Amino acid sequence: MTTTEAQVPPAHRRGVAAARARHTVLRVLATLARSAAIFVPVFLVATFVTFALRALSGLSPARIQLGEQATPEAIARVEAQWGLDRPFLVQYWDWFTDVLHGELGTSWTNGADISTLIATGLGVSLSVAVFALVIGVTAGFVLGTLAALRRTTWIDRAVTGFVTVISVMPAFVVGIVLVTVFAVGLGLFPSGGYVPAAQGVGPWLAHITLPALALSLDVVADVARQLRTSLIAAHRENYVTGAVVRGLGPRRIFFGHVLRNGLGPTLATLGLKFPALVGASVVTEWIFGLQGFGRFANDSAQTGDVPAVQGVLVVSIALVVSFNLIVNLVLARVTPAAQRGV
Amino acid sequence: MVRRILGLTTGRIAVAILTVIALLAVLGPLFAPQDPLATSDHPLAGTSGSHWLGTDYLGRDVLSRLLDGSRVSVLGSLEVAVTALVVGAVPGILSVYLGRAFEWVTLRLVDTLVALPFLLFAVAVIALLGNGLTQAMLVTGVLVSPLFYRVSRAATLSVARSQYVEAAIISGASIGWIVRRHVWAKVLPPIAVAFAQTVGVGFVIVSSLTFLGIGVQPPEPTWGGLLASDLGYLGQKPWAPVAPALLIMATVWAGNLLADAIRDVSGEAGRALIDARRARPDRLDKTDPAPAGGTR
Repeated sequence: MTTTEAQVPPAHRRGVAAARARHTVLRVLATLARSAAIFVPVFLVATFVTFALRALSGLSPARIQLGEQATPEAIARVEAQWGLDRPFLVQYWDWFTDVLHGELGTSWTNGADISTLIATGLGVSLSVAVFALVIGVTAGFVLGTLAALRRTTWIDRAVTGFVTVISVMPAFVVGIVLVTVFAVGLGLFPSGGYVPAAQGVGPWLAHITLPALALSLDVVADVARQLRTSLIAAHRENYVTGAVVRGLGPRRIFFGHVLRNGLGPTLATLGLKFPALVGASVVTEWIFGLQGFGRFANDSAQTGDVPAVQGVLVVSIALVVSFNLIVNLVLARVTPAAQRGV
Repeated sequence: MVRRILGLTTGRIAVAILTVIALLAVLGPLFAPQDPLATSDHPLAGTSGSHWLGTDYLGRDVLSRLLDGSRVSVLGSLEVAVTALVVGAVPGILSVYLGRAFEWVTLRLVDTLVALPFLLFAVAVIALLGNGLTQAMLVTGVLVSPLFYRVSRAATLSVARSQYVEAAIISGASIGWIVRRHVWAKVLPPIAVAFAQTVGVGFVIVSSLTFLGIGVQPPEPTWGGLLASDLGYLGQKPWAPVAPALLIMATVWAGNLLADAIRDVSGEAGRALIDARRARPDRLDKTDPAPAGGTR
């Protein structure tokens, strides 16, 4: 093979390289376009549902600001002040264009700017979520690969059993256990609170480790289980037999053939899992006393602060959509099967 | 099918656990040794003859509160599963037959529902629309319905493209007859799997919501609420969360086991699979129903 390649004229080879690069770029663009065609309607529908919440809830800023004994005139005045007397679709359009500009409106309870409130909470939540993803993917990858490579041995059974146990533990149960053992019992980690990374990486890691662990177990279970299944399935394919027949080493077969083909479903699972991860942050932030945006959502929902809740939902939808976009891009790059529209 | 599920050890375990939990939900409040709301002057007491599982921070009997709270949790998770079944499976089957427009609209709606972080959304909707657990469960049911949609749609598609259905259409069968006669038999097992899974998921959601104190009024006992009240007193009673946590985990585990058992005995090779269980230990278990679907 190498000798024939060396004889190719340099200009021609450059042409091949350029064509290949162009092909890659086109493929990325095609994936982006295909994903956008799916995600733009998703975003539109989701924001519409979110906005319709206010009309459905029948809540009004007047109740919060004026109390229960407000006169109808006063209520009408406050609602006009917030622009709530206009037609529903006009309100939606105004709100939606503001959202596209990154402005989520002002809170009904204290008049603060919601974008700033969420931005402060988002740092906390994203630190925890990203750390949880890192733990979950790493541990899940190791466990799943181990189980698949040593299938039908005691290692496989131990991993499968462990994964079954952690997959039935809800995030808040894990959270409580972690607090009891590592914070109250052993005193290794702080039981709650948050320190920004700017004040030192050590304390920051110490504060987000337990909540990230609590969130990550679900990801570990899903990644490990899916990876084991798809790696074993890929191992049975004809191209693996073909590679063995051609005399390729086990390492090259694993990384070049098995892993590359088995990774697709796992990545897709990860994309599906992300909304659950964002949602579960409500619970973990409550347990660990973090002022993240899940906590913010819970608090504002309980006080009936509709614009704040809508803001959090929009941000979470945007997070989910962009995460899935990244997953799709990686998927298109990694697995040949994604080209066939799987 | 029921007999074949009971033929598997895992199936027997799952059915046994779920039966116990269901009995707890139906009869538990009757068995409660004491009034679950009555306070006593021994707060945070340990295990004793009169309080088998001790008392909580107001001196209320934990065992009674556990038994009394079981009904809310079990009913809630069943509501989630039934709502998801109705909202998801019916459009899933129909999407194959009602033309491209309906198919496109439902697919987009399902994509949207999948993209919503359901716990966050459930919290928001419930807190804004009123503090009732029934509404809460209906909303979560709708949010988890995409699983049923995908599963039933995939099964219906595979039937609709098979040759015996073509043969039936050619010989003049109506769509209603085909659905009743052929589609139903093929769609039921995956839906049963999804249902068992959703009961487990619903259980986690109900406990998470009650843990946050959403959907129930404070004195009423729930398993999630018990955990939440234990959290503040871990220093004095570190073992308090064990009982409710174990109950929740056992129920979720039983739901997953049942799902696996149904999956094992149903499908084309259902029977062969039971016989070959020990012969082929590296069989593909736990293939997730729609792993590749989320990104479409």
